[in-house]
Amino acid sequence: MAEPTSPVPDPAAAWRAWLTQSEQQWNAFLNQVMGTDQYTQSMGRTMEAYAAIQKNMAEGMSRYLGALNMPTRTDILTLGDRLAMIEDRLAGIERMLAEAGASAAASDGASGAGLRPPRTKRPPSGVAAAGDGRVA
Amino acid sequence: MTAPGAAPAGPTLEARVREEVERALLRNVKGLEYFSADVPEMGLTPKDAVYARGTLRLYHYRPLAPEVYRVPVLLVMSLVSKAYILDLTPGQSFIEFLLRQGYDVYMIDWGVPRPADKRLRLEDYVLDFIPDCLGRIRRDSGEPDVSMIGYCMGGLLAVLYQALHADGPVKNLACFTTPVNFEGMALFSQWTDRRYFDVDRIVDSLGNVPPELMYASFEMLKPAARLAGQVRLWDNMWNDDFVKGYRMFDRWAADQIPFPGECFRQTVKELMWENRLYKNELVLGGRPVRLDRITVPFLHVMAEHDHIVPRASAADLVGMVGSADKKELLLKGGHVSLVAGANARGRLWPQLDAWLAERSV
Repeated sequence: MAEPTSPVPDPAAAWRAWLTQSEQQWNAFLNQVMGTDQYTQSMGRTMEAYAAIQKNMAEGMSRYLGALNMPTRTDILTLGDRLAMIEDRLAGIERMLAEAGASAAASDGASGAGLRPPRTKRPPSGVAAAGDGRVA
Repeated sequence: MTAPGAAPAGPTLEARVREEVERALLRNVKGLEYFSADVPEMGLTPKDAVYARGTLRLYHYRPLAPEVYRVPVLLVMSLVSKAYILDLTPGQSFIEFLLRQGYDVYMIDWGVPRPADKRLRLEDYVLDFIPDCLGRIRRDSGEPDVSMIGYCMGGLLAVLYQALHADGPVKNLACFTTPVNFEGMALFSQWTDRRYFDVDRIVDSLGNVPPELMYASFEMLKPAARLAGQVRLWDNMWNDDFVKGYRMFDRWAADQIPFPGECFRQTVKELMWENRLYKNELVLGGRPVRLDRITVPFLHVMAEHDHIVPRASAADLVGMVGSADKKELLLKGGHVSLVAGANARGRLWPQLDAWLAERSV
C-alpha cells in the first residue's frame, strides 16, 4: 500500500529526522575522538587518579572515624559479611529442610513436582524454526 | 475522495496543526505528571527462590500455562546488569511470555556483589555456580535435561560452561548478543589498552569496579544518546506508552551493579588484551576452553544496531561452536531492545519460541 502523501510539508517530521541524524553524527564524531590514543591515555590517568583518591579518602576517613571511636565502613562491611554468612547458613538449613520434606512427600507419593502442571506440552503443529541468518 | 490507484492523501494542514496543538497541551499536562509519578514496578512475575548462595538467587517462576514442555529453561543473566530487564511490566516481560508459551522457567540472578565478592573469578561462575544451579534445577523439576539461555555476558558464561561440560545436562543452548572476539569491541578495547589502563591498580584499590564506572563506560559508547533521548521524551510526552517504555529502560540502564574485581581483571587481561577465548587459548580451572566441544543445538541471536556487543565481536560465535544443529539470527534492534520491549515482543520472542519449542519435548 502506498504511503499517505501530503502537499503540506511536515516541519515536525523534518525536525525529528534532523534530531536522529544529528545524534548519529555526534556519536560518530565523539566516538572517533574517544578512539584516539590521547583520549585513552587521558582516561587512564583519570582512572588512576580516581582510584588513588578513593583509596586515600577511605584510609583518611578510617583514621578519622577511629579517632572518634566510631565504626568505619570496613567495620560495617565486616558485620555485613558476617550477616551474609549467617544468611547462607540459614539458607542451607532451609534447603536441607525442604529436601527432607520433599523426600518425605515423595515417599508418600505426593511430590512437589506433582503439584505443578504436567510436562506434556507439545509444540503447536505447523511450528517452523526461524530462518537462517536473516534480518527480520 | 481518492482516485482509484492514487496514493491516499495525507493529513491536511488544518488537521496537522490541530494535532500538534493537542500534543503540545498534552505535553504540558503529562510533563507535570511525569515528575510526580513513580517508575512502573518491574520484575513482578510471581517466582520462588529455590536456592540461595551468597548474593546468588536461583528463581523458579510459577507456571502460567496448564501444561508445560518437558525440558525446563534456565536463564543466565549478565554480571553487570540487573536481571529484571527480562521481566519488565506485564505484557512487556520476556519471562511472562515464556511462561505463557508453556515453558518451565528458572533464572540465575547473581544479585549485587558484596565487597567480599571481589575475589570471584570466571571459574567460580562457570565451574561452580552454574553447575550447582543446574543440579538444583534437575532435582527441583525431576527432569534430566535443561535448556539454557544467556544474555550478553550471561551468554558468555553459558558458552564457557557448556564448552567445559559438553556431557552435562544442557540439551539446548541459546545466546543473545554474546561476544567471543573481543577485538571486535573496538572502543572497549581502545579504552582498556594495556599501555594506559592499569587494571591491577584499579582492582587493587577499589575491589569491585563501582557501578558508576560501569554506567559511564556504557554511556560513552553513545555519548549523544542521553541528550537526544531526553529531547525525544519531551517530544513524545503526550504518548503514555512511549513514556512508560522510556522510564523502564532509563531506570534499568542507570541501575548498574558493581563488577566483581577479580572477574573484571580476568576479563580485561585474558579476554580484552589477549583475546584468549577467540584464539582457543583460554584456560579455566586448568581446563582449556574449546567452543568446538559444544555439540548441543545452538542458537545465537545478534542485534543489527548493537553498540555494546557489536556484530564484529559476536559474529564468529556460531562458526566456533561445534554443534551440527546451530543457527544464527540477526534481528533489527539494539543491545537492549533485542530482548525487551515492543521490538522484542514482535521479533526475538516468537523466533526463540519457534526454535526452542520443538527442542523442548
